[in-house]
Amino acid sequence: MSWPGYRWVGYGGAAAATVAATLIGLGMRAHFELVNIAMVYLLAVVAVALRFTRAPTILTSVLSVAAFDYFFVPPSGAFSVEDPQYLVTFAMMLGVGLIISQLTSSVRARAHAQARLALEAETERIRNALLSSISHDLRTPLAVICGASSSLAARQTLDPDERSALAQSIFDHARDMSELLAKVLEMTRLQSGSIALQRDWASLGELLGAVLRRLRERLATHMVMIELPDDLPLVRVDSVLIEQVLANLLENAAKHTPPRTLIRVRAQAAGDAMTVSVEDFGPGLPDGDLDQLFGKFERGGGSHRGGMGLGLAICRAIVRLHGGTIRAERLPGRGTAFNFTLPLEPVPAIAAADCAVQSG
Amino acid sequence: MAETRGTILVVEDEPDIRRFLRSSLGGEGYKVVESPAGQRGALDAGLHKPDLVIVDLGLPDLDGVEVIRRIREWSPMPILVVSARTQERSKIAALDAGADDYVTKPFGVGELLARVRVALRHALRPPSGKALGLGEVTLDFEKRRATRAGAEIRLTPIEFRLLACLAKHLGMVVTHRQLLREVWGPSHAEHTHYLRIYMKQLREKLEPDPVRPRHLVTETGVGYRLLADEA
Repeated sequence: MSWPGYRWVGYGGAAAATVAATLIGLGMRAHFELVNIAMVYLLAVVAVALRFTRAPTILTSVLSVAAFDYFFVPPSGAFSVEDPQYLVTFAMMLGVGLIISQLTSSVRARAHAQARLALEAETERIRNALLSSISHDLRTPLAVICGASSSLAARQTLDPDERSALAQSIFDHARDMSELLAKVLEMTRLQSGSIALQRDWASLGELLGAVLRRLRERLATHMVMIELPDDLPLVRVDSVLIEQVLANLLENAAKHTPPRTLIRVRAQAAGDAMTVSVEDFGPGLPDGDLDQLFGKFERGGGSHRGGMGLGLAICRAIVRLHGGTIRAERLPGRGTAFNFTLPLEPVPAIAAADCAVQSG
Repeated sequence: MAETRGTILVVEDEPDIRRFLRSSLGGEGYKVVESPAGQRGALDAGLHKPDLVIVDLGLPDLDGVEVIRRIREWSPMPILVVSARTQERSKIAALDAGADDYVTKPFGVGELLARVRVALRHALRPPSGKALGLGEVTLDFEKRRATRAGAEIRLTPIEFRLLACLAKHLGMVVTHRQLLREVWGPSHAEHTHYLRIYMKQLREKLEPDPVRPRHLVTETGVGYRLLADEA
C-alpha cells in the first residue's frame, strides 16, 4: 500500500474485475435474469474491495454500473435506458458498492490497529522479561562485588591469600557483568536493525583460532576438537559477528556440559552453503521444542550459571542477517549439535602476477 | 621502584579509570600525567613530552582519533588506544591515524602493562629485523631463511615479506590495510582474501598447531599480530 505504483495496480484491478464480470454476464445472459447479472458485478466490487483500497473499489462500482447499463440493460449497446426501474437498480448497485468499500476499509483499519496493539504488547512483554532477567543476572555479581570490595576496604588485617582471592572474585564477576551487558547491547543493536554488515573475506579456521584464544580460560575445563577440511573455502561475512556466533556456541557448550566433556567443531562446504556444527557430548537437551532455544530468554535445562540464553538469540539474529539458518539437534546417544549455515560465494582468484611480485 | 621507568600521559575523561591507571602504572614505576579531555591531552603531549600516551577513544570534547592525529603531526611517540569491543572501525581509524596498538575495554591491568611494555621497548629499540625466534622456528630476515630445529622451511617471497612486515611491529597489531599495502602494493589494499590465504599457508608452515596459532595471532576485524618468544 506504500509504493507509488500500487494505486495504479488497484485501478488496473478495478478495470480487470469489471471486464471479467462483464464476460461472465455475457455468458449468463441467455439463461439468467438481468438481476442475477447485477449480482455478478457486485461480486466484482467485493473482490476488489478485499484486495485493494477504497478508491479502486468505488471505481469498480461506477464501472460496473456503466458496463451493466451498456451491455445488458435494454437497449443493449447503448447507455440509454428504456425502463426507468433500472435507474433504481443502478442506484442500488452503486450504493451497495460504496457501502462494501467503506466496510472493508474500516475492517482493515481495525485489523491493522489490532496487529499493532498485539505487537506493542509483545514488545512490552519482551522488555519486561528482559528487565527482570537482566536484573536477576546482575544481582549475584553485584552482590559479590559489593561484598568483596567492602571487605577489602574495611579489613586491613586480611592475609595476602584472602586478599587476592577476594580481588580475583571481584574481577571475575565484573567481567561476567561486562559480558552480559555487551550481549544485551548487541541484541538491542541487532533488533533495531541498525547493524550494517561489514562483509569481507574470512577464514573460518582463523575465526575459530581467535575465539579459542579469547575464550581460553573459559574453555580450559573442556576438550575442544576442531575438524575442518583442508580445502574449506573462504566466506564473505562480518568477521566480528561470526566470531561472536562461534564464541556464544562454544561458551554455551562449555557452560551446559560437565567439565572434561568433548566439544567438537566441524564445517563442510556443499553447493552454495557452508555448514558449521558445534557439537557437545554432554547430557543433551531436555524434551521440548528445540527452536524455542533461540527465543530470547531460554536457558538449557539444569543450569544455574548466568547467561540467560541471550547468546542463542544473538546467534540466530546474526546468522539470519547473513542469509543463513541455525538450528539445534539432539545427537543420537547423547549430546547436542548446533548447526548453522553461511552462503558461499566464489572466491576471487589470486592473480599469478601477484605471487611472483618483485622481491625486495 | 624509586627510579621512574618513563612518563606516561593518560588522556581519559573518567576520573575513576584515570585513578586506576595512575595506581597501576605508578605501581610499576611509571610517572603518570593525566589529561581529562582531548584538547588538553593533545597539548599535554607537547608540554610533557611523555614516553608513551594512552588515549581513550570515547572522549567528550575531541575524537580520540583527532588527538592521535595531532600528536602524530610532530612526534613518533608510542600511542596506545583504549576502546570498547564493538568499536572495530574506530580501532582501525585510530591505528591508521598512527596509533601503535590498542586494548579493549574492559581490560585487566596485566594486559595493559604488557602492551605498554611492548610499545615502549619498540620505541626504545626497534626490532633489528635480523632474526626472530618463534618457538622451534627461527626466522633470519637477512638471509631470507626460516628453519625449524636446523631444518629449512621453504617460504615464498610473499610469505617472507608478510612476516617481515609483521616483525617490524613485533608484538603490536598491524591492520589488514597496512599489510596489504606494504606486501602487495596500494592497489591491493582491499584484497583481504590474499591475507587469509597467505596467513593460512604461513601458519601451516610455522605453527605447531595451525588452528591454535601462538605466534601469528588474528585480531578479528582489525588485523594481525606477530608474537615472538620473548614478547
